[in-house]
Amino acid sequence: MTPTAPPRVLVVGLGNPDRGDDGVGVRVAQRLADRLPAGVGLLTARCDALALIDDWAGVDALVAIDAATPLGVPGRLHRLAPGSDIPEDAGAPLSGHALGLFEALALARTLHLPVPATVVVYAIEAGAFSPGAPLSPAVAAAVPTVVACVADEVARLCRDG
Amino acid sequence: MTTKRLSVDYLARVEGEGALDLEIEGDRVAAARLRIFEPPRLFEALLRGRGYVETPDIVARICGICPIAYQMSAAHALEDAFGVRVEGQLRALRRLIYCGEWIESHALHVVMLHAPDFLGYPDAMRMAADHGEVVRQGLEVKKVGNEVLRVLGGREIHPVNVRVGGFYRLPTRRELAGLAERLERAHELAVGLVRWVATFPFPDVERDYELVALRHPDEYPFNEGRLVSSRGIDSDIADFEATFAERQVPHSTALHAHVRQRGAYLVGPLARYGLNVDRLPAEVQALASEAGLAPRCLNPYRSIVVRALEIVYACQEALRIIAEYEAPEAAAVDVEPRAGSGFGCTEAPRGICWHRYATAADGSIRAARIVPPTSQNQPSIEADIAAVAGTLLDQPDEVIREHCARSIRNHDPCISCSTHALKLRVQRR
Repeated sequence: MTPTAPPRVLVVGLGNPDRGDDGVGVRVAQRLADRLPAGVGLLTARCDALALIDDWAGVDALVAIDAATPLGVPGRLHRLAPGSDIPEDAGAPLSGHALGLFEALALARTLHLPVPATVVVYAIEAGAFSPGAPLSPAVAAAVPTVVACVADEVARLCRDG
Repeated sequence: MTTKRLSVDYLARVEGEGALDLEIEGDRVAAARLRIFEPPRLFEALLRGRGYVETPDIVARICGICPIAYQMSAAHALEDAFGVRVEGQLRALRRLIYCGEWIESHALHVVMLHAPDFLGYPDAMRMAADHGEVVRQGLEVKKVGNEVLRVLGGREIHPVNVRVGGFYRLPTRRELAGLAERLERAHELAVGLVRWVATFPFPDVERDYELVALRHPDEYPFNEGRLVSSRGIDSDIADFEATFAERQVPHSTALHAHVRQRGAYLVGPLARYGLNVDRLPAEVQALASEAGLAPRCLNPYRSIVVRALEIVYACQEALRIIAEYEAPEAAAVDVEPRAGSGFGCTEAPRGICWHRYATAADGSIRAARIVPPTSQNQPSIEADIAAVAGTLLDQPDEVIREHCARSIRNHDPCISCSTHALKLRVQRR
């Protein structure tokens, strides 16, 4: 039997810490720094997800953490699993000069560039995106739970592929 | 008389939030207004009282696409105020980091934002399905530009290695060798891009622009030169305010600039190329003629060819700088702050970016004035829109809208930068 190489896992915290709850993905990523198994990549990305196309080359599984549009329950956690939860078509772009995560994934697929086989997104419902504001209390309170969930997810991915 | 008002509520494929209002009275365009409602940025006010050391890093935040332009203009202006000159290899490294910015900014605009207009796609994502190879190549070129910024600037967006007097850290020989290898490849791809965009169908349009750019005695301009125009302006950058004026207009949070006693003018690739074509290396000039560019091009649609050509030049210039590089003794020259005032003007990808600072004895900022390229181009963009709409009045609103939006994208406006500040609304009367 040939031993198989462990799957390569990359964790990315997305968002802008200078815009209130938009920074929650980055905060979670910072807390994960000493909680991930050796060999797991950890990155934060502020705005343009286009560069991630290079970062995820050769990666088997991508776990992204990002703030979600407010839907009424700030701090509520959504896990978007591979398949139906993650849109294939990214829809209208938010910015003319930068791509979002789903747009970057769609572009990479269109261009036949490498895309991780597994993509899991942890989306935390935001309360407000005020410039310069800290995380709102409900979103800050959700951080430890998200950190634990992502750590478990990564452990699972490393074990099971 | 019928009145018609057409509007494009949010402009796609431009940076920042802007909109366009068009008022048509009978058979003429009564008004074309590029409305910029991006919130005011207030950078000039927030710089007051800040130290000169932190100023290049603060102004870098004006733009994520062209931070180097702001850092360079600020550094030059403060060096001017303090009586410092940065020469030799440090000056060359500044040109090198600027090459990186032109490469990444132009590659993004040429391939991802502008090309879809000529090939009939709503955006680059849709274009990528049919033109995957060229989109991949465009992204590869952009990445090399980003890599230059990372090596010279410490990171790709809002670099942190530029200071008044030079840099905080010099690149290593090994880092530069790595860059050279990638720049060779980017150069080859960029030549292909020029040939590709030259085949696009270009509307047969010539606009009566007064072109304004820097002109240097022997270089294609990045950091230095005199301010010149196609109608005879030839002045020191310190005299900018005597030649050009900015005014507020009710429909925009960006100021509108004009030549005093004259009117609108154009900065950016068409102006730079038209006023400096003789400063390009012979092989780049030859590529320009091969691509069908006259020595002075006044067709705004062909700006895509000039941008692609400037990528080729920037790759070539970067390679020249790396080949001739010898590490200087220090990463920066000594700077002694003093009370004074100074001016900086450099060529951002979108055109001249002019700064003036007054400093206190400790070097802190007493007053700042920043004139970005897009606010200078706003009146010319509005004139382009009025002209293009004037030829389409019998067409459906959707057609007018699309052509007006294209006219705006021809100039790659960076609306976020220009707001101190696109929707298209057409009103027919």
